[in-house]
Amino acid sequence: MTRWNALPVLLVVVVLLAITAGSGGAAPAPARGGTLTMVIGSDPPSLDPHRTPSVNIAHAVMYETLVTVDRRTGEFIPGLAESWEISQDGTAITFKLKRGVKFHDGTPFNAAAVKTTFDRLVSKETNAPGASWVGTLTRTDVVDDLTVRLVFSKPYAPIFSSLRISFLAILSPTAIAKMGADYGQNPVGTGPFRFKQWIPNDRIVYERNPDYAWGPAHYKNRGAPNFDQLIIRIVPDESTRVIAFERGDIDILPGAPARDARRMMRDGKFPFIQIPTTSGTYLGLNVKKPPINDVRVRRAIGHATNTDEVARIALEGLAVPMLSPIAPTIWGYWDGVKQFALNHDPDRARALLAEAGYRPGPGGAMMKDGRPLEFTVWTYARMTNVRVAVVLQSQLRTAGIKLNIEQMEPATLLASTQRGEHDAILISYGWPDADILYYFFHSSRLATTNRVHYVNTQVDKLLEDGQTTVDTAKRLEVYKQLQRILLAEVPWVPLASELSVNFNQPYVQDIYYDKFGNLLLLDAYRTR
Amino acid sequence: MFRYVARRLLHLIPVLLGISFLVFLLVHLVPGDPVRVMLADAGSPEQVERMRRQLGLDRPIYVQYASFVVRAAQGDFGRSIHTRRPVAQEIAFRIPYTVHMAVAATLVAVAMGVVLGAIAAMHHQSALDYGTMVVALAGVSLPNFWLGLVLILVFSLHLRWLPPAGADSLAHLILPAITLGTSSSAIIARLTRSSMLEVLRQDYIRTARAKGVGPRRLVYRHALKNAMIPVVSIVGMQFASLLGGAVIVETVFGWPGIGRLAVDAIFTRDIPVIQAVVLVAAVIFVFMNLLVDLLYGLLDPRIRYG
Repeated sequence: MTRWNALPVLLVVVVLLAITAGSGGAAPAPARGGTLTMVIGSDPPSLDPHRTPSVNIAHAVMYETLVTVDRRTGEFIPGLAESWEISQDGTAITFKLKRGVKFHDGTPFNAAAVKTTFDRLVSKETNAPGASWVGTLTRTDVVDDLTVRLVFSKPYAPIFSSLRISFLAILSPTAIAKMGADYGQNPVGTGPFRFKQWIPNDRIVYERNPDYAWGPAHYKNRGAPNFDQLIIRIVPDESTRVIAFERGDIDILPGAPARDARRMMRDGKFPFIQIPTTSGTYLGLNVKKPPINDVRVRRAIGHATNTDEVARIALEGLAVPMLSPIAPTIWGYWDGVKQFALNHDPDRARALLAEAGYRPGPGGAMMKDGRPLEFTVWTYARMTNVRVAVVLQSQLRTAGIKLNIEQMEPATLLASTQRGEHDAILISYGWPDADILYYFFHSSRLATTNRVHYVNTQVDKLLEDGQTTVDTAKRLEVYKQLQRILLAEVPWVPLASELSVNFNQPYVQDIYYDKFGNLLLLDAYRTR
Repeated sequence: MFRYVARRLLHLIPVLLGISFLVFLLVHLVPGDPVRVMLADAGSPEQVERMRRQLGLDRPIYVQYASFVVRAAQGDFGRSIHTRRPVAQEIAFRIPYTVHMAVAATLVAVAMGVVLGAIAAMHHQSALDYGTMVVALAGVSLPNFWLGLVLILVFSLHLRWLPPAGADSLAHLILPAITLGTSSSAIIARLTRSSMLEVLRQDYIRTARAKGVGPRRLVYRHALKNAMIPVVSIVGMQFASLLGGAVIVETVFGWPGIGRLAVDAIFTRDIPVIQAVVLVAAVIFVFMNLLVDLLYGLLDPRIRYG
């Protein structure tokens, strides 16, 4: 057994500002029954984890994964697997599975189910959007009924971060055979809630799985959930979502828009919790495009940026400034990065620009060869992104750099940046592991996610090491080095990592979130 | 009459072909790739190519278009790229929601519009006339999303009378129908007013008045019916254009209709769905026009179909 299952968690700051549950005196026993209603902004494309580009709460309440994350410590703990062992060379993981687990359709959960699921996930025919989450997985072997082995062509260190995500949830082999491509309309999992009804663009309804008895150890209640029914309402408009919650039509409002969140936090009518997210907003600089192909210009942009201000003003204080391309909540973030960070230093910015041959011109603009220093940033036409861009624009102006802002719709932005037509992009990512850097900076990802068109053989090598280094301490070293290089070369100016503010009605008790912001519902109950 | 309807329906074919081709071309000209959206950026280049092949998106545009037309003619619109559900099923599910909304909004628009317009006409050049026309002007000018949010704030949050979002009951229909109906009602009010004024100047009205017909009877039995002829045509057009307004209203009120389907499909570049939604909208539009033309004949016996 290696230390994989105890990956250290760095900087988990879950700020519990107001939780009414159990405060003062003995808490009453949780009440059974009732319906819990929560709200999200859009339908998942499919409830089949192999046919959707993103998974969310709608999958998480119904499906389960082999491992999960302890809500208090952030460590990997047993989910559907009871224990696991990693081979010496790191290319095989053997899972002992929990006994007595059943899918919603009555099919017993066993090694064959895990194999069928993973085979389907990686098959060329399925071509699942989530297939990349298993990395170098080559095959899944059934050892015995309750033992299964994942075999990798070379060690894939981020696998545990992946294993807890619903993309890798275990599906019923009976249902796979019966439903095929229609699994998403008739989803079958092992989770505490089972699927009942889906009215597209309106609601997804689940009911209690009465047979459920295998909840993860971080719950008090490890059996069936207290609620008879769970409804996930789909309401696209932010303001309507908030009003529906304030009226009491909805019990849980995750991720309230910043403006409303601030007001409701002041009002104090509803319990809330602020949770760091694994997302990061950054300014990506196309290193091939003049004038920002000059590293001194990129560093100047970094030093002209005030990330505290970005978090405080543009994001209403509901964010933490980012010092590294890796958000502080993500595994692999290194606190020592502070000494290499692109701290706010306008004098240093001007000195760097002078070094690059720029001289102050009319109106304070930095000029070179008769042209002012100017570039354009492309961003989503999303309120927060635009506000961040505007704050950035005014900060850069004081350093003599002119920033133009162009807003686009997501599909257009993605397509255009892949062709490298842009100077810069302002965009966010969300990921649980430092392996994100591979997608954004490895040269093999040039035409796709490497939007800054960055090529560096040393970085390539380190990114590959980050995927294959099994020893946690050594792996952390790799990412330390990567963070230093990326802060010196500045293909990204890291900006801020948003906080999620989640509200709930005061009569809903014992709602928990893990450090990734996932809602944990087994202990929750209504007092009326 | 039968021949007239048949001919109008035959005209539909080239219209739909033209519309579908334009939309097809537009979707392909706009940057953004459904496969990249679907794979959420994480896909390798090989995976992207494989999916493009699976979806037939690697073939030349004219081949894709031809195969679309052939299959559509058989009632098969393929599967959504984004949700993988049959497109026909996606649309069939949402049409009733949008039709309910459009009918309710039309009722609101007609009720408000005709009453306001008739009042204004009967009190020509009085304060009441100007007042109602100012209200009508405001009605056209208010953006749907703004009016919708104000209605939600007042009637959902403060008065707590009506739910702000969802599609469970008749109560859920009221606020979106008022929001959507208001702008149309303004147009109908203005038209009713001018049409009424026109009719009230006609000889037969003067004759009726001379014969001692009371003002109430005069308006309801004699004037209003004839004043309604141009109004009917605008109501038909408004009904069809409500489908466009539904995009915003359905988003604000969380109504699972065809407008939201269209928006989602455009964001994900879901070509089969965009195609089908536009065709459905075009068919509704053309049918409403036909219906309006036929209604003319009922209201005005002088109109003949040739």
